[in-house]
Amino acid sequence: MAQQPLSSAAQPTDIYGGDEVSALVLDPGYCNTRAGWAGEDVPKSILPSFYGHSTATPTQNFFGDERLIPRADFEIRNYMNKDSVVEDWDVAPKIWEHMLINRLQPDKQTPPSKNGLNDDPKEKTQDGEGDVAMEETENQEIEKLLQENPLLVTEAPWNTPKAREKTTEVIMETWGCPAFWLSRTPVLSAFAAGKATALVIDVGGANTSVAAIHDGMVLKRSIQKSPIGGLWLSSQIRSLWETSEPKVTLTPTYMVENKTPVDALAPVQARLRQFPYQIHSSFRAYEEERVLTEFKESVVEVWNKPGRLNSPGNEEFAKTLPGRVFEMPDGWNQMWREQRFKLTEGLFDETAGYPLPEEERVAKNQTIPALIRAALEAVDVDLRGNLLANVVVTGSTTLINGFNDRLQNELAAMYPGMKIKIHAAGLTSERRFGAWIGGSILASLGTFHQMWISRKEYEENGPGIVEKRCK
Amino acid sequence: MSSSDVRDVLNLSEGASGTRPNKKQRLAAPRPNLKGLAREVHNLGGDNPIAIVPEVTQFKKRRFANRKPASRWEMRSFRNSARDDSTLILKHWRRIEEKQENQGSPADELKQENGTQEGQAPTQDEMEDSSFAKFNAQVSVPQYSDDQYAQTLTSDTWTKDETDYLLDLAKAFDLRWPLIWDRYEWTPPATNGEANENGDESKAIVPLPDTQARTMEDLKARYYEVAAKMMAVQKPVQYMTQPEFALHELMAHFNPEQEKMRKNFALNAFTRSREEAREEESLLLEIKRILARSERFNEERRELYSRLDYPHAETDISSFKSSAGLQTLLGTLMNASSKKRKTLPGPEGASPSNPAPPQAPVQDTGRRESTGPSTGNREPPATGTPTTASKKGQSQTQQPPAERPKLTEKEEAIYGVTHHDRLGSGPTFRTEKINKLFSHKSNQQQLRINNTLNELDVPSKLAMPTSATTSQYEQLLGAVNSLLEARKVSDKLDGEIKIELAKKAEREKANAPPDGENSKAQEDSSKENAEKGAVTTAPEAETTSKPNSPDPDDVEEGDAAKNTEAAGAQKEEEDEIGVEGKAARPGSSGAAQKRSASVLSTASDKSSKRQKK
Repeated sequence: MAQQPLSSAAQPTDIYGGDEVSALVLDPGYCNTRAGWAGEDVPKSILPSFYGHSTATPTQNFFGDERLIPRADFEIRNYMNKDSVVEDWDVAPKIWEHMLINRLQPDKQTPPSKNGLNDDPKEKTQDGEGDVAMEETENQEIEKLLQENPLLVTEAPWNTPKAREKTTEVIMETWGCPAFWLSRTPVLSAFAAGKATALVIDVGGANTSVAAIHDGMVLKRSIQKSPIGGLWLSSQIRSLWETSEPKVTLTPTYMVENKTPVDALAPVQARLRQFPYQIHSSFRAYEEERVLTEFKESVVEVWNKPGRLNSPGNEEFAKTLPGRVFEMPDGWNQMWREQRFKLTEGLFDETAGYPLPEEERVAKNQTIPALIRAALEAVDVDLRGNLLANVVVTGSTTLINGFNDRLQNELAAMYPGMKIKIHAAGLTSERRFGAWIGGSILASLGTFHQMWISRKEYEENGPGIVEKRCK
Repeated sequence: MSSSDVRDVLNLSEGASGTRPNKKQRLAAPRPNLKGLAREVHNLGGDNPIAIVPEVTQFKKRRFANRKPASRWEMRSFRNSARDDSTLILKHWRRIEEKQENQGSPADELKQENGTQEGQAPTQDEMEDSSFAKFNAQVSVPQYSDDQYAQTLTSDTWTKDETDYLLDLAKAFDLRWPLIWDRYEWTPPATNGEANENGDESKAIVPLPDTQARTMEDLKARYYEVAAKMMAVQKPVQYMTQPEFALHELMAHFNPEQEKMRKNFALNAFTRSREEAREEESLLLEIKRILARSERFNEERRELYSRLDYPHAETDISSFKSSAGLQTLLGTLMNASSKKRKTLPGPEGASPSNPAPPQAPVQDTGRRESTGPSTGNREPPATGTPTTASKKGQSQTQQPPAERPKLTEKEEAIYGVTHHDRLGSGPTFRTEKINKLFSHKSNQQQLRINNTLNELDVPSKLAMPTSATTSQYEQLLGAVNSLLEARKVSDKLDGEIKIELAKKAEREKANAPPDGENSKAQEDSSKENAEKGAVTTAPEAETTSKPNSPDPDDVEEGDAAKNTEAAGAQKEEEDEIGVEGKAARPGSSGAAQKRSASVLSTASDKSSKRQKK
């Protein structure tokens, strides 16, 4: 019997436990901020957490990728720090508002008092008080922007209580949500994989976290964090390019006006664009990161054959594997062979990989195997077997080819007697937005209605309630 | 595909083709709803309708069967009674109920099943409750008042505040212990002057590291202690129902140490290597196999036992199970049988006329010596016969089988107790031991030994092989053996002496006459001399020591000497001994033997005397 589409005439049965109350889900991260409606499978609005800031008076912020273009007096900033904790509390509410309201809500009808159709010529004569009254109502309108939508916001598991309270204030005071909830990303990632108990390995952009989830709650002692992630990998690539012979110069796309294709390792034939104003270094870094991301997506791989890359014989074998050609925005192209494996080796072995400046180097206890070991050692021994059988892998960096196989090999070498099962979503979007999807599932559950922190509870207890409830 | 197609394929004749259209029309009438595969299957039957009842599903409706207007939905607000504050009103989309229109429509049935909320909220005034409120389950955590705490729950290591904190956590995390332990961050309240004024010194005293080091087992142990005690307070143990009591027992007997040990084991299992894991697996398999085999074996054994089962005694035999009981039983049996039988065949050969009287006291003293310290005032079993049955249990426990009376040498001799370094398996007869001494010898030797024994008037088989007699007999046989050896050696020496003498005589003879004779005459004369020499030496030998040097020997020897030259004398010597050995036995005439035996008997005089005694 073929699956028929759900009839619009029949109300969906409640067996799946969903009961949507048009909640919103916001998942801020260092690289991207995701927002969307609960119950959907991908966030509707994905914006880089980087925003443009015009230093010319009056200062102005530009949100959204399409607005981050070369400008004068323009720099790129991020409202979060590299620990994925909100740093700039002036901008954060604005960018969230931009996403939740401007991008998700339908355009509000201009109030009848403002649309000019009801203008009474008589009132124009006696404006004074009338204008004030209208402004007041307008302010109320803005405050009520999210009045109908409960909001679920995700946070890093190491988020500070102060940041949580601040978030709560923004949600309740600025937007006037009827209810809200704060949830930690590993928990939601586990939910997205359909698990209440899991060991969540989240290799994201700015950092990597490993946390054990028991029965839908994170075990605080097991939370492990490390700076190895997408940005760390970028610095590895930079190091590779600088040390390779000949040296590879990274020219971001915006600087190239036109180019002619050249052979591999041939000199670049491109004309660079000239700007009549100074381009801020942060803008260039942001643009360079795009090229590096592309390189990561198309070239970089994780060594997934038995053993590590520096095991005897493996490096020679890696040289025989087919290489990949990468063409830079300015036309420079080169075949990359064993280097593309060596780039990721530092995720698993702190001694491998390319040399990095002191501040970006990782310690021995910051590699992924070390994080997993530390996380497991911080939980009760009864849980460990179950956790290893429910390893959830999420985060964009895990999409690098071979990552899961390698992780499986590493875990099997670390815990030889145990049953290890890695759950990694097959869909790219599910891996990238794991935490958001988990939040989407959670916020659309009928049983979750009793969990929301309501406005009344907030008003009675103040922002401190978030520490009491969202444990 | 229809039946006609099938017929085409199978080349069947279309005999009834004329009637088919009519039938089809008739058939079409009762089942107009058949669709898809069901219709195809039915058509296969053609003229003969097949007995497949097509399943009519309720769910398969044509999508646009009803041409009603699109249903209307509304954003309906609802509340959730499971919430702590009931003010949160959320909205969700629900269909607008239109009673008169929905009557009898399939969607209505669905709705009825769908939940109670629709049925309950026909009017808009009453706010509907979320259908998920019923899933709100909460654990019950024990409650106590301050008095109750002071009465029953005080602990050296736990303050009331910390216990409260623990119970709060238990409630907040629904008794999920990993979480409770994970989030347990108890910091004693700041100890200021007020706290001390209240007399609550313990707060100030409880050291911080102590609370920080609390393991999950500590937390569990405290919680279960509190829970069990409060259960008992609210409902005394004797009034509890069975499950309540079981829960109470479980919580009251929580053993944190055992839990810790278990976790250590789990930790070891966690860190084992692949080889160890594999080995463990194979061992488990082996155990399973062994268990299965032993089960089978037990089954067989049980069956065997049931076959070999003896009839159970009617009376209670437990009173005879102890050694004291056995002793009394023996005593009574003795008394009963002593009237009928005079003797009991005691295996030791100790005076058979009165076996019981010496035995009982000796046994008794022996046991008393050994059991003295443990049993204190124990009645001697002879007098305590009536009480042994009642004392049975006591004596059973007090006399473990390891307890063994020490016997003196005399007693050992009486009971025939001997000590061996090694014992052969199974019982043996003493006669066998003697037979062994025989059977190891060759036939000739056996004959000789028998002859010697006959000479001594000792039978070759012992009439009563007691241990004493057998040992004496062994000695005797040893002596006989050595005698025979000695005799053999002396015979040999005799033979040598004889030959040497013969040589000597020949040499003298050769020296004495002149050399003019021919070789033949020389030979003859030498023969004569040899004969003479032999004759003359024979009595000499007899008189010296040789017990049996019969004449035929000499004759033979003489013949041999005739046939052979003097040069071959050495060879003859050897032959002689062998021949003599052969001839000696069959020809052992009584006189010579007896004489020699009398000589012999002096050596084994002592043994034979003892034997006679």
